[in-house]
Amino acid sequence: MKRIQRAAVIVSLIEALRAKDSWCGETNIQKACFFLQELTRVPLDLEFVLYKYGPYSFTLTDELTGMRADSILALRVRDPKYGPCYIPGALADSILERYPKTIGKSERKVVFVAERLGNKGVADLERVATALYVRKGMGAVGVKERANRINQLKPHVSLPDAHAAVREVDKMFEDAAELSEY
Amino acid sequence: MAKHIHEIRDAIHVFARLDSDERRVLDSRPFQRLRHIHQLALTHLIYPGATHKRFEHSLGVMELAERAFRVITAKENIDPRVRDIVPEGDQLRYWCRVLRMAALCHDLGHLPFSHAAEERLLPEGQTHESLTVDLIKSDEMASIWQRVTPPLRPEDIAKLAVGRKKLKDHTFDTWERILSELIVGDGFDVDRMDYLLRDSHHAGVVYGKFDHYRLIDTLRILPETDDEGAEPTLGIESGGLDSAAGLLLARYFMYSQVYFHRVRRAYDFHLQDFMSAWLGENGLPTELSEFLNLTDNEVLVELRKAADDASHVGHDPAVRIVKRKHFKVLYERNPDDSEKNPECGAAVHKAACEKFGGDVVRHDRYTQKGSGVVFPVRNRDGRIVSSYAASNVLQNVPLVNIDYVLVIPEKQTEASAWLKQERERIIAPEGEEQ
Repeated sequence: MKRIQRAAVIVSLIEALRAKDSWCGETNIQKACFFLQELTRVPLDLEFVLYKYGPYSFTLTDELTGMRADSILALRVRDPKYGPCYIPGALADSILERYPKTIGKSERKVVFVAERLGNKGVADLERVATALYVRKGMGAVGVKERANRINQLKPHVSLPDAHAAVREVDKMFEDAAELSEY
Repeated sequence: MAKHIHEIRDAIHVFARLDSDERRVLDSRPFQRLRHIHQLALTHLIYPGATHKRFEHSLGVMELAERAFRVITAKENIDPRVRDIVPEGDQLRYWCRVLRMAALCHDLGHLPFSHAAEERLLPEGQTHESLTVDLIKSDEMASIWQRVTPPLRPEDIAKLAVGRKKLKDHTFDTWERILSELIVGDGFDVDRMDYLLRDSHHAGVVYGKFDHYRLIDTLRILPETDDEGAEPTLGIESGGLDSAAGLLLARYFMYSQVYFHRVRRAYDFHLQDFMSAWLGENGLPTELSEFLNLTDNEVLVELRKAADDASHVGHDPAVRIVKRKHFKVLYERNPDDSEKNPECGAAVHKAACEKFGGDVVRHDRYTQKGSGVVFPVRNRDGRIVSSYAASNVLQNVPLVNIDYVLVIPEKQTEASAWLKQERERIIAPEGEEQ
């Protein structure tokens, strides 16, 4: 996927997340892109490593800043206690108009991810995104084994919470199966 | 009796002080090589004073790293919510030594002329940071780490020297992440502090200056928010907010006025062309002993020979550098064009290549990386707020956005006339590909 097409998908994802009342800060977008790529197979070509609040892509951080530089995205203060949220920028519409096919291909998957993650806060996102990261690394092995691994990687995530996150991600995989291939 | 503290005069920080273990690093072959790597590639052809090297920058980063470390680990500065992550006693002293060594070594893997030709010359997947890690773990350096009491783990030094972004297959705990961000992070890392101050000093511009004393003095490890479970990260006391904004403005101006000066970027292209031609199919040697033999000096000697000899490989780009016949700007992005086509520079570049040939046209595109403007700020009442909300200046720091198309000077007049005539057609966006 070319950079500008990826930008179009990210704008459409941000709009979908906002429609679900997501805070839409960088952590929300990072985790949503991780699910979009690893669960629904939209080829964003992002490399994720375990970092702040679970899986994180440095390339995506660069991309979001680049999109701000290009006026495709902007930042807005919602509450001084928290970091800013991303909103579409002055040139977002022209990107969306220019790439209807790219957006159309990923539309159902974008909506799927936004529906499942839009209402989650940072702590919840960390749990489920780490659960997906672990499933990606270990495969769909037993729930207990994966929960232990989450707890090992993120000791502040309790074992019961890790179990719940693993089950939630497994359910998402089942639900996502009906989405067509990209 | 051997001297235990060695003082080196420094143009920015007055003195850089080293103990005898650090002196062994200074005397090592990988570190001495940095005396011959220009910090800013060929920028001295535009700003004649900018002839400084990675050597003194590395000393400056080490000096600032310890200053910052002492501030963030001072008992009175540790926020109770993050106290658990800060080691104590011998462990704290161990990490201070690791931090200083990592700061000293963070640029060991730089290619000749630093960043100028890195992307073109290194094999896929390799970066100057991966070479830095290889050198830190090399036999020569390992013997130095082993002699320190207690011995330093090369892995720890490597992690702090290049950070999480460049060591993707490693896990970092919170403490290691914060220390690596202190050296090579995305906000107010000491690498950036030193290069902005040092580069502006040597280039003779004031854009890179900011109040780094105040900034370092207000650095803190803070939870990102007041919420439970918020990740600890580097932040500042509210009194340092304007100093942090000063750094970010300095970064913007240095990028736009010095690092991405259009002529300097043209020279980067010519240097890449020359080095690619000269090194041939084998490319840049990445085997460490061969790599260490290659500095700016060897390249400059060959460059001058090539400029004087029409049969020498790389003659054309060498002439463009030595005789100052560098590419000129044909097109520069502007808001009107980017509204019509966000990829306007790429469109002009493609059309110019079709018209004049790819050899005589170059596209220089760069948008700012990282984030940098969002970090926790602790107010006087102890509450954490977001820097972005707390500072109008931070909300308005411009972002670097470079989009030039350059053309060979012999074609500049013709190409400019062509572009004037064809501009609207070229800028108009194409339909989406299937």
